[in-house]
Amino acid sequence: MDKSLLRVEHLSVDYKLNNGEVNAVRDVSFSLNRGDSLGIIGESGSGKTSLAMALMGLIKEPGKVRGNIYYENVDINSLSKREIKSIRWNKIALVFQNSLDVLNPLLTIDEQISEVIVKHLNLSKESTSKRVKELLEMVGLSAEIKGYYPHQLSGGMRQRVLIAMALACDPEVLIVDEPTTALDAVYKNEIIKLLSELHKEKKFALLVISHELETIFHLTSKINVMYSGCILEKGITSEVLKNPMHTYTRGLVDSSPTINPYRDLWGIPGESGGSKESGCPFRKRCTQSIEICSTRVPKLEYVSLERQVACHRGGIVTLLEGKNINKIYKNKKTIVKACDDCSIKVRSGEIVALIGESGSGKTTLAGVLSGTILPQEGEVVFEGKLVSGNNFTSRKNGIQIVFQDPFSSINERFSIEEAISEPLRIIKEDSYEEIKIEVKKALEEVQLPNDENFLNRKCYTLSGGQRQRVSIARSLVMKPKLLIADEITSMLDPSTKANIIRLLKGLQNKNGFSMLYITHDLPIARKIADRVYVMHNGKIVEQGIASKIFSDPTDDYTKKLVKEGMSEFN
Amino acid sequence: MNCIKRILEYIIVFFVIISFNFFIPRLMPGDPFTFLSSDEGSVHSSYTDEQIEKYKAYYGLDKPLWEQYKDYVYNLFRGDLGYSIYYNEAVSSIILKRVIWTIGIVVVSIVLSSLLGIFVGAFSAWHRNSAIDKIIYSIMIVFSEIPSFLIAMLLLFGLAAGKGWFPLSGGITVFGEYKNVFEKIKDIVHHGFLPVLALVLSQTGGYYLLSRNSMITVLSKDYMLTASAKGLDDRRIIFRHGLKNAILPVITRIFMNLGSVFGGAILVENVFSYPGIGRLMREAVMVRDYVLMQGIFLNICILVLTMNFLADIVCRKIDPRVE
Repeated sequence: MDKSLLRVEHLSVDYKLNNGEVNAVRDVSFSLNRGDSLGIIGESGSGKTSLAMALMGLIKEPGKVRGNIYYENVDINSLSKREIKSIRWNKIALVFQNSLDVLNPLLTIDEQISEVIVKHLNLSKESTSKRVKELLEMVGLSAEIKGYYPHQLSGGMRQRVLIAMALACDPEVLIVDEPTTALDAVYKNEIIKLLSELHKEKKFALLVISHELETIFHLTSKINVMYSGCILEKGITSEVLKNPMHTYTRGLVDSSPTINPYRDLWGIPGESGGSKESGCPFRKRCTQSIEICSTRVPKLEYVSLERQVACHRGGIVTLLEGKNINKIYKNKKTIVKACDDCSIKVRSGEIVALIGESGSGKTTLAGVLSGTILPQEGEVVFEGKLVSGNNFTSRKNGIQIVFQDPFSSINERFSIEEAISEPLRIIKEDSYEEIKIEVKKALEEVQLPNDENFLNRKCYTLSGGQRQRVSIARSLVMKPKLLIADEITSMLDPSTKANIIRLLKGLQNKNGFSMLYITHDLPIARKIADRVYVMHNGKIVEQGIASKIFSDPTDDYTKKLVKEGMSEFN
Repeated sequence: MNCIKRILEYIIVFFVIISFNFFIPRLMPGDPFTFLSSDEGSVHSSYTDEQIEKYKAYYGLDKPLWEQYKDYVYNLFRGDLGYSIYYNEAVSSIILKRVIWTIGIVVVSIVLSSLLGIFVGAFSAWHRNSAIDKIIYSIMIVFSEIPSFLIAMLLLFGLAAGKGWFPLSGGITVFGEYKNVFEKIKDIVHHGFLPVLALVLSQTGGYYLLSRNSMITVLSKDYMLTASAKGLDDRRIIFRHGLKNAILPVITRIFMNLGSVFGGAILVENVFSYPGIGRLMREAVMVRDYVLMQGIFLNICILVLTMNFLADIVCRKIDPRVE
């Protein structure tokens, strides 16, 4: 039998409302031991607080709790009200989310802390008063505030009082609900430090509930990612936040400015909710959902030793993989190794930047990856199938490329409608009317006019920025899963460049396609890329998570590139 | 600064009140002497015109209104409420004799109705939306809407006249002799029971609704969840954490209500011919005894103002947030 201190098995919390049922927590399982720390992260409304309330046995009608919560192998839900009361706070205590009303406004701090000591520990008056003093000093407050009322405390002091109150009976399990949400940066760091010191010293099992990645990151060793009441990903905190395997976790990480100090912030598109429907709760906001996602709820499954993901596709899928690609150009005298044993992966919904100086072989690699250039060795796999020739570029939901030079990539004698609809007309899948609708939609997405007048204009009347938008629109009509953007902004002026980049990233965020962004422009890469490959003389010299590559490169060439590419004006 | 402002406010209110108090009786048609002469219904007159003139001069009623007002304010500040025209006795001593009865039933009924309202309200809130809550709620709504004198009359007809369980009138048995002090108290309670019951029944509803409402608000507060999470006993959660917060508006209401309870008491006293200030006031109005009326109104006003002031202090005492 499992010897865990706190074990939660298949816990569900439902609220019956007038218009049906809300499943706040769905089939959540985890266990905690003394000294362990577990973080539960998720957006507001993901069921985190309901979970905490269920652990405290505080779910009231019309809420209903199913599943089991074992504390020292005793199921809490099977206990009588009195027995639950003896565990509450005494064994499992909760640091409530900080708000003005969380402490009773009419009672002194002293009374509010000592009442639990009196109730659970049965100490004498003197010992109780001594204990209150100790507790306050333990959390870094002076014992004088005993006589204060809650409204006389600052937010940070209140948070400390809440912690002192929770630790009054030396609980075995401490649940902390959003400990840092309402605090400013200084207080935040202090509270995090205090909690982690107390955890180290007291060795209680710590459960931190928060939507702040930073707090979870500093306080916990393991993490559960919660969405719509379901756990979508489980693993070691630092690993999960560094390398999220679920699209939702990735979305969360992407939304955090502390983890992504440079990248533009992009929230997860859409709203959470819709818990009543069947299937994966996240599918509507997911970038890679397939048919099964709308019919069956995915179960947590191990994808590596310490990582579990609830996803029918086994977490973020690898969309495109180039394996050991070699491409050599032979001239009469010289041999140019454009690609030297290059391996590259692009996963669903991510932006991979391929950086390197001109002539490093980036464009050749892009050609190989899209199938337009045949490598001497190696293979390219897209969604499990080999890429060869135009088998993926000539179909919908495949690969599309946007080139560097919009002047030469678009036939300027074409009208705008002809230019954009060309790929659809070639594959002949849709009727003329359908194609027209698609074209208009694509123009709208790239923020160009889509009236008849504009559709009939010839492409040579357009500016560079407009032409680049047209070529992006031409790619979008094919609904690509992977967009290869080869130096698409290098010929544009700074303002147009900024507009195009934001447009592209916005489209990517909304439509969820993946992007291989080839560039020598490092600041831009730092703004949008999730992962980075660095190419030099046909070789991939370094690869990794964008923030790490730019802040702490290991390869000498990358170091030089980053140093020069990132040098600022002053 | 704040304190001075409040005191100033009270002074202004006080002046407005004594002015109203002076003018309103004098704006009523008639005067003490014509009414003295027409003994309710009969046209029989006991004074000649000369006598009336003489009395008017004696009581200063022949002076212009402005002069009378000046005298009145001057005397007031000397603590002199004047002599009753009808009873020929110092107003202050008449009031003192009567007010004790009224204060008795008012205080007892307020204590009972507020305690009852608070506890039943808290009980209802704790069990809100249950059958018992709904039943109590409907009953309380009905009682809070019926005026006190109507309840008083029903009680009088039913329990005093009909069943004969209680005396029909008075505050104490006239010419009663008692063996000991307990006998006397028993007699007073016996007489006071119905007036107090009438007031309690009409007051409780208001306190109940306020207390229930306030408790429901409090129950949804975060600190109530904190209290249950602490594993405290239900009793402590309800009373120490819940009721202490919920009771604040009720306490303010108790003091604020004092005026209307007095109003209710005046009517109820008349139903039961209870010897309190209410009946005295009716008598004073009937005979246009300006001086006595002024004295009674003034006393009630001072009482209400004092109670407001006390409410302020009590709330400050209970709620540390009020600066």
